[in-house]
Parts: sequence; C-alpha cells; structure tokens
Amino acid sequence: MTRSVIEEPQSLIMVEVQKPNLTDEEIRYAVKKLQREPNEVEWAMLEAQWSEHCSYKSSKPLLKQLPSKGPRVIVGPGFDAGVIDIGDGWVVTLHIESHNHPSAIDPYGGAATGVGGVVRDILSLGTRPIALLDPLRFGSIESPHTRWLFDNVVRGIADYGNCIGVPTVGGEVEFDPSFERNCLVDVVCVGLGRKDKLVLGEARNPGDLVYLVGGNTGRDGIRGAGFASKALTDKSDTERSAVQVPDPFTKKLIIEAILEAVDANIIQGMKDLGGGGLTCGLSEIAAKAGTGIEIDLNRIQTREPNMLPAEIMISESQERMILLIREEDERKLVNILEKWELGFAKIGHVTEGGLLIIRQGNEVVAKAPAKFVAEAPLAPRSAMRPRYLDVLAKVPEPPLPEDLDQTLIELISSPDIASKEWIYRQYDHEVGIRTIIRPGQADSALLRLPNKSSLALTTDGNSKHCYVDPYWGTVGVVSESFCNLVAGGAEPVALVDHLQFGDPGNPEVYWTFKEAIRAISNYLKALSVPCIGGKVSFYNEDSTSRRAIKPSPVIAALGLVDPKTPRIAQALRKEGNDLVVIGNTSDEMGGSEYYEHIHKLTGGRVPRVNLKKERTLLRSLLRSLRSGRVESIHDISKGGLAIALTEMSVQGRKGVTVNLDKVPNKTSRIDNSLFSESRSRFIIETKPRDITRIVNSFKRLGIPAAKVGSVTDNGIEFLSKGRSIIAIPISEVSRAWSETIPRAMEATL
Amino acid sequence: MCAVCLPMSPATCTVEVVVENKPLARDPEGETIHRNLILKGGYSQVTNVRAGKLLRMNVEARSPEDAKQLVRKLCDDLRIYNPASHICQVRVLS
Amino acid sequence: MVKVAVIQFPGSNCDLDALEILQKTIKVSTDLVWHKNLKLDEYDAYVLPGGFSYGDYLRAGAIAATSSSLETIREATDKGKPVLGICNGFQILVEAGILPGAVLRNSGLRFVCKWTRLRIESTGTPFTKLASKGQILRIPIAHNEGRYYLDKDQLAELERSEQIVLRYVDENDVPNEDSNPNGSLDNIAGICNKRGNVMGLMPHPERASLPVLSPENYPEGRIIFDSMVESLGGSTGGK
Repeated sequence: MTRSVIEEPQSLIMVEVQKPNLTDEEIRYAVKKLQREPNEVEWAMLEAQWSEHCSYKSSKPLLKQLPSKGPRVIVGPGFDAGVIDIGDGWVVTLHIESHNHPSAIDPYGGAATGVGGVVRDILSLGTRPIALLDPLRFGSIESPHTRWLFDNVVRGIADYGNCIGVPTVGGEVEFDPSFERNCLVDVVCVGLGRKDKLVLGEARNPGDLVYLVGGNTGRDGIRGAGFASKALTDKSDTERSAVQVPDPFTKKLIIEAILEAVDANIIQGMKDLGGGGLTCGLSEIAAKAGTGIEIDLNRIQTREPNMLPAEIMISESQERMILLIREEDERKLVNILEKWELGFAKIGHVTEGGLLIIRQGNEVVAKAPAKFVAEAPLAPRSAMRPRYLDVLAKVPEPPLPEDLDQTLIELISSPDIASKEWIYRQYDHEVGIRTIIRPGQADSALLRLPNKSSLALTTDGNSKHCYVDPYWGTVGVVSESFCNLVAGGAEPVALVDHLQFGDPGNPEVYWTFKEAIRAISNYLKALSVPCIGGKVSFYNEDSTSRRAIKPSPVIAALGLVDPKTPRIAQALRKEGNDLVVIGNTSDEMGGSEYYEHIHKLTGGRVPRVNLKKERTLLRSLLRSLRSGRVESIHDISKGGLAIALTEMSVQGRKGVTVNLDKVPNKTSRIDNSLFSESRSRFIIETKPRDITRIVNSFKRLGIPAAKVGSVTDNGIEFLSKGRSIIAIPISEVSRAWSETIPRAMEATL
Repeated sequence: MCAVCLPMSPATCTVEVVVENKPLARDPEGETIHRNLILKGGYSQVTNVRAGKLLRMNVEARSPEDAKQLVRKLCDDLRIYNPASHICQVRVLS
Repeated sequence: MVKVAVIQFPGSNCDLDALEILQKTIKVSTDLVWHKNLKLDEYDAYVLPGGFSYGDYLRAGAIAATSSSLETIREATDKGKPVLGICNGFQILVEAGILPGAVLRNSGLRFVCKWTRLRIESTGTPFTKLASKGQILRIPIAHNEGRYYLDKDQLAELERSEQIVLRYVDENDVPNEDSNPNGSLDNIAGICNKRGNVMGLMPHPERASLPVLSPENYPEGRIIFDSMVESLGGSTGGK
C-alpha cells in the first residue's frame, strides 16, 4: 500500500456525504426512480429531504385521517401554515413548530431559533405574525439541569419574540421526569393578513425568478434535518453543526421587507428555509405546482469559503427565505430589500418540466425531478399496544389524605399548577396593541382584530394523561383546548396539532401515535371543526436509556369572539355572587396532578369525554356567556374543582364557600370529587338574580349544572355533610401559588 | 497580581475569561456593530468584529497556572459557557 | 394643520402601534417616516417609537443614535418642537445626548413586561400639560434596559429644573423599591430636557390609549398624546 495521507478525503463531511443515511429500501427506491446511482450531492439532498423531519414518511398516511375542511378554511395541511377566513377580507394563519433537539443542547439558541422558524412559516403566507404561544415540557424542576434548560429556553423565547415585536400571549408548561433529557420546546405562531394578498409556497409560473433573501449560507445547521431525526446522544454536545445562532434583528428586517413586498403584490410564491434548507424549500415549492427550478450555486452568498455543493444545498442557516417574482418586478423587489439593507441573490428561475437542476457555474451538480426529491417513499411502521397500559390501568387507590388543607396547598404549589407569572413577565405580551386578555387572566388569550371581532387563542397538552391512556388523554387535550376557547367567549374555528413521540420504529411508540391521531380525528369530527396543519416530531427519547418521552400531543386552537360578547376573565368579581358548577365529576384520577404530585402514583382511569354531548355543552355555554349573565368563568382542568376555584379566588382576591355535596358528582371519595380532572366542566360566577336561568339553561339540555356555593370576603372553604373539610386563608394559597416557580428558579441563578 | 504569585504560596491572581460564539458560528451582534456603526462611521480598516462576554476573576492560587486551571475547570463545571455554541478562553493577566 | 412624524428605525417595533393610535384614536395627521428619509424638519412634532433598533446590539439605542435623522431631530429640538421618545425612542434620545443620563440593563437582569402606576411629577411639558401634578397613569412597560441612571449632581440638577416627569409608584401612590420595576434611580420613569419640549419615558402610552386594552376601560396613556396635540394648538379625537 502506498497511499499517502494526502489522498485522504478533505473533510469529515465529505466522508459522511458519501454514505447516505437512508434505509436500504430508500436507497433502492432512489436508484430505481432515477434510473442511476445518485451522485453525492443528490444523496445529501435526499438524506436531508427524506428525513422524518422534512418528509413525514412515517406519519403522512395517518395524518390524512384528520378532518381538514370547513367553510372558513382557505389553506389546510401541507403548506407552511393553515389559513382561516375571518371575514371582511381578513385572514388568520396558524402554525406550530418545535425545536426540541436543538433546545436540549443549546436551550437559549434552540428556543430562539424555534421562534424564528415558526415566524417564517407565518410570513411565508404573506401574513404578519401577531402572536406567539409557547407550550413547554421539562424534567423535574428539582433537577439543576432542568432549571438550566428552563431558564435559558424562556430567555431564548423572550429575547427573540420581544425583539421582533411579536407578543407572546400564552403557553403552558408541564414538568415530568420523562422530559429530563429531551425537553419539548414548541412554538405556536398566529398571523394576520388580507385575503387578496395571500401568497402560497407554489412555483406556479415558469420563468419567475428565484431570489434567496436574508442571511448568508454557512455550514451551521448542516445535517440539522437529519439531526432532528436521530435520537440525542451525548455526542451532540460536541457536534458543531448542531448550533444555530439566533438573529432576531435580521428577522425583523425580513418581516418588514417581505410584508412591504407582499403589499406591493410582487411576490408570486414564497417559502421559508428551515429543516432541509434549500433542498426542502426548492423541491417542495416546485413539486406543489408541478414545475421545476434551476439554480446556480455560485450566486449564493456563502459565509465560509469553499463550501461544497452538498453543504450549500442542505445548510440550515437561519433567517433565509425563497421568493419567486416576475422578471418585471425585479427592480421593485431590489429597492425594498436595499431599503431594509438585507442580503439577497438572484439564484435561478422556475422552469417547466418538473426538474430540479442545481448548477455550479456551467456544471450541473444535481438533477432530479422535484416531486421525487420532495416526496419520500413512505416508511411502513407497525403498531403494537404497549403492555405497560394494562399495568397502569389497575393501580390501587391511594389512601385518603388526613389534612386536605395541606393537600390543597401542596397541589397549588406543584410547578405544573403554580402561577407562570415568572415566565410571562419576561415576554412582551402587549406589543402590537391587540392583547385584550393577557397571560394568566383567563383560559385563553384574546386579541383585537381589525374587523371588530376578536381572536381567542389557546394551547394545551397533558402528557401525564396521554401516557396512561393515549386515546382518552388526547381526546381530553383537544377538549380542554375547546373548553378554553369557549370560556373565552369564542366559537372554536380551527386547530393545529403537534404530535411528539419517541422512535416510530418502536411498535409500542407508534401505537400511541396512532391512538393520538384517532383521538383528535374523532373529536374534531364530532365537533365539525377542522385541523388546518400541524407538525410531527419523533425520536424524542434519551438514546442512552432508550426511554421515550411520554406521548405528547399538543394542540393550538383558535376561536372567534363576536363583538357583542362581553369580556370575561377568571378572577372572581363580587362577594355575594353565586357559583355554579357545570358538568359531571367522576372517579377519573389517572394521570391527575393529585395522583402524580401528591401520591407519586401513575395510573388509573383517565378522564373521558362524551363526544355526543360536547357540542351541546359548548354551545349552551357560549349562549350563557353572550347573555351577559356570567361574571367570571374558569374551566376545570389540572388539579380539579378545588384548584380551579382556588385560582379564581386568588386572582380575584375573594373567598369562596362551596358545598361539595351540591356538586354534580359520581365520585366515590371526597378527594376524588375535589381533585378529579374529569373533562368538560366549568365554574361560573353569576349574580344571584341570574342563577336560576343559568342553571336551568344547562339542565334543560341534560347537562349537569348546580349552584354549589358563593363568593365571600373570607378564605377558601369547602363543606361536606355539614362540616368544613378545607378552610384556608387566601393569602396562604396565594403565596404557595405565586412563589413556587420564582423560588425554584431564582435560587439557581 | 500574578507577578507576586510565588510557587507554593497562595496569592491573588487575576484571571480573565472571554466567552464568544464559536469561530464558525455567526455573531449577529458583532456583525451589526461592524456594519452599522464602524463601517458607516468610516473606519473601513476594521474588517471584522466579534462580540463576547468578559469575566474578570480574582483567584487565590499557588501559581498562575493553578489559577488558570481552576478557572478553566469552573467554566466547564458550571457551564459558564455552553460548549455547544461557545468558545471560552481563559488567560491570566500578567 | 398639525402634522406628526413617527420615525421608523431598523428594528423599531412599536412604530405601527404609535402610528395607529395617533391616526385613529388621537386623530392627528401622522406619517410613518423611514429614518433615512427624515432629511428636513418638516413636521410639528416627532415620536421616536419603541422597539429594538439595530437589535439593541452594543447598547439599546446606541447605533440608532448615529442615524442622520437625529440631526433633524436635534434641529427640531432646538426650535422647541415637541419630541417624544418612548422606550427604545427614549434610549435613542439619551444615546444621542439630547436627553441626559443613561438607560441601563434592568436590575433584575430580565426583561420585564407589566402594567405600572406612574405619578405625574411635572406638567411643564407639552406631553403632560393636560394632566395635573400627582395624577396617576396606569401604563405598561416592556423592556430589558430601562434602569434610568445619572450621577448625583446631575440628579439634583434634574430635580431642580423639574425635568423629572414621571415616577413609578405603588398602590398608595408612593415611589419605593417595591414599585420600581427596573431599578431606576429615584423611581424615574420619564424625564424631559431643560426646555421641556423633549420627553423620554420607558412606559408605552400607546398601549394604554384604547379602552379595550386598558384596566377598567380607562385609557390613561392617551393624555400624553392628547397633551402633545393640544400644545400644538390642534384638536384631538373624542375621548
């Protein structure tokens, strides 16, 4: 052997590119379709685009089950965001994304660029991002690693969202040890625009010019798509390409420049560059319209010298967009981009014939049908019901606590339930002068719309329920979203889902994934509300322990509030008012905060939802809210009736006296009636003169409803069988509720 | 000061820690200061700006090398920087 | 007719909010002016809006302060025209040396977004002339760098010449540590220049100018814009 070291490949990346990270079937499929062996650039592109992250190859057939049509739906799943017609020529866009794996190793940058990514999706449709919501999941708050992640994720979201001037108006947080090594950082973004200015990610007109706008292309984030599709290993900490640096300032300039171009009607098609980079953006925008695209890599401004064609094609550098424009509009576009001092390059044009042609100067370095690149072969997956479910279904009941006062205090101090003010203080939730109902004030956020109606937004998840029963847990999550919207006076209009699971190659994981989709689908069909998009994130597991996260479907839903509906929050209003509980409380303790936090017990029966009655319940509740007879309202969810009442009490600084024997109740134990998380329940505060009408309006329709007590100027008191079972001063619960998270967080800083 | 750090006798050394984004990662702050302030101000001789964070620590140590190693260790242990995205230089002031 | 300019810098993000309130609520003729296009002092009053100009890199407002538009603003200032800097606009005016002092990182080292109670300390500015001394305004803040600072001698001077316009106060209208959201010296939320025609404040009056966005539907922030227009002899929209 006379090989010298000089003959070794130039870089590690070269070596990796030569060995595509694809399955044998995918490799065979690629060679057969192309009728030749793809070259190394093409392999790199296929590897990026056919990753789970870009291709949805394990989930696509199942996602088709979800109802996606409705009278207000303009654009459904398959685009960068869903689009809803809100009337008067206005549209609202909605999307959800996650940045779980990057956030696990660089929580600040990962969370910030996660915000950046979903904002680009909303912008891609030609709409202005007007709100963000952040559902987050971490390990136990006792763990220093969790606190480091939590603190930096919140800072990352805050610094990015605040800088680009998009208010963060809502979110939710769950702590569970299953997220210790794999936190879930999801971001929901909502956009607002004119219907006649909508832009789609379709290259419809051959001859249109392709512009790459925004930041330069670098080696950061290379193989990011592949990265998100692999389970995390400790090695990630040393992979340099995993880290992308957030640049919210450039993003703000991109937002304004693009909206100016949208307003001038010069954008024919648009796509953001996220996972899969140029490969994903170009192949999808062409495939959607059946056209092709030809580009020249030499025109792309790179940040580092000597970038290989494969690297440029799969780079996931942040803050970049693909714009398609007609040749005659070129000057107008350039003027706008120069005003905002943004980088841009004319990299190619749209072609007929459906081919994606990548040139470097005169040399063609990759050539394949756009549809072939964009659409990965489906990955067949098998599903098997996990055995753990039977074990969890039969856990013995815990002992009844001796001191229910203490139980209530402990429960309200649970980080899952405690006040999230520490988080939302750091988010600008006011910018844009649209926020009517702010974080922490009610079950959903409320935003002013230009056409007099208002927009209700909520995001919900409950991995504890979904672990114990994936189907009913997921039904419950969707139900909670809708209850939150209705409690805000809104008619539910649409939702997007984010399905976060472990390795889809594990049949037990895949079964839970299927159950979640079946659940969302059944709920939406029962309520006739569409799912207009979403996201799937697999491989959320710790590869050392091979332990998957708890199944975590997360829902983001929007509703519309008509102008006549009064604004109603959850803080109690006035001493002497009556309290009504609507809906039945049952022995449904599985996954409840009471079992998990107080008894350290996982298992039991998860709350179910009567899908036949849900629509009637929500409709009549909406009627009550519109009647003006409701003073305050809160849905009953985490922690059950006792916690919901305590939250209303603490926020309104008013006491309550509630007789548990009056609560519509099928439970066998007093603790269950206090802390059960049975779905589709509400507490309403009403004036005494309206109580009969309110209660009867529900009972008439067969919905359980009863007056259970009243608002007082005292503490929180629950009675049963004529004696007091809980009596606590408000100041005490208030302290417990508000101090938990700041105390945990500030101690570490 | 380190000039007074004699072997085996504990004394105070001043150690500086500089945390920056990795050399091949972007640095939007440095880029913005360069483009919008320095170049616009006419200082075209400046070809690059990187922003970072400086921590200056007084350390009791037997030698400058000990001080440096101690600070290096604490930077790693306490995640003074995130190795996923930053480089961290430790230097002893002379 | 009175004409107001809202100056838009790269990274401004409350520019459209201020514009909407001025045009639709205060009903005063207002243009959004790109900072590079502000070459002549053609307006009766100027508003520098909130946001993160140039990403707040280096120091909040430091890079925007070198914009050529600030020369025009200085010219207008010298003529006695009203100039209002809100949040990042305040930071820019300070960095440009048009207002004294410095605006530093919050003492809590975190971004803070919350509603605050502000006490009017001076009615000698075009932005507070419709208010009365001691009046309370509820207006939200949202900033990372809002800790107003200047040295002792300058503070005494500021106090003497009635340049402190707004202070953060508690439920009992007292300025104290509990009501100080960012560690500002002496609970200072807003100041003016010696002549009184330039005011900078950290709170966002445009966010408290519509009833639907305000506590109990009282838009207490609009008095700042109403005063400005009134001082120019214009009439403002229905209250």
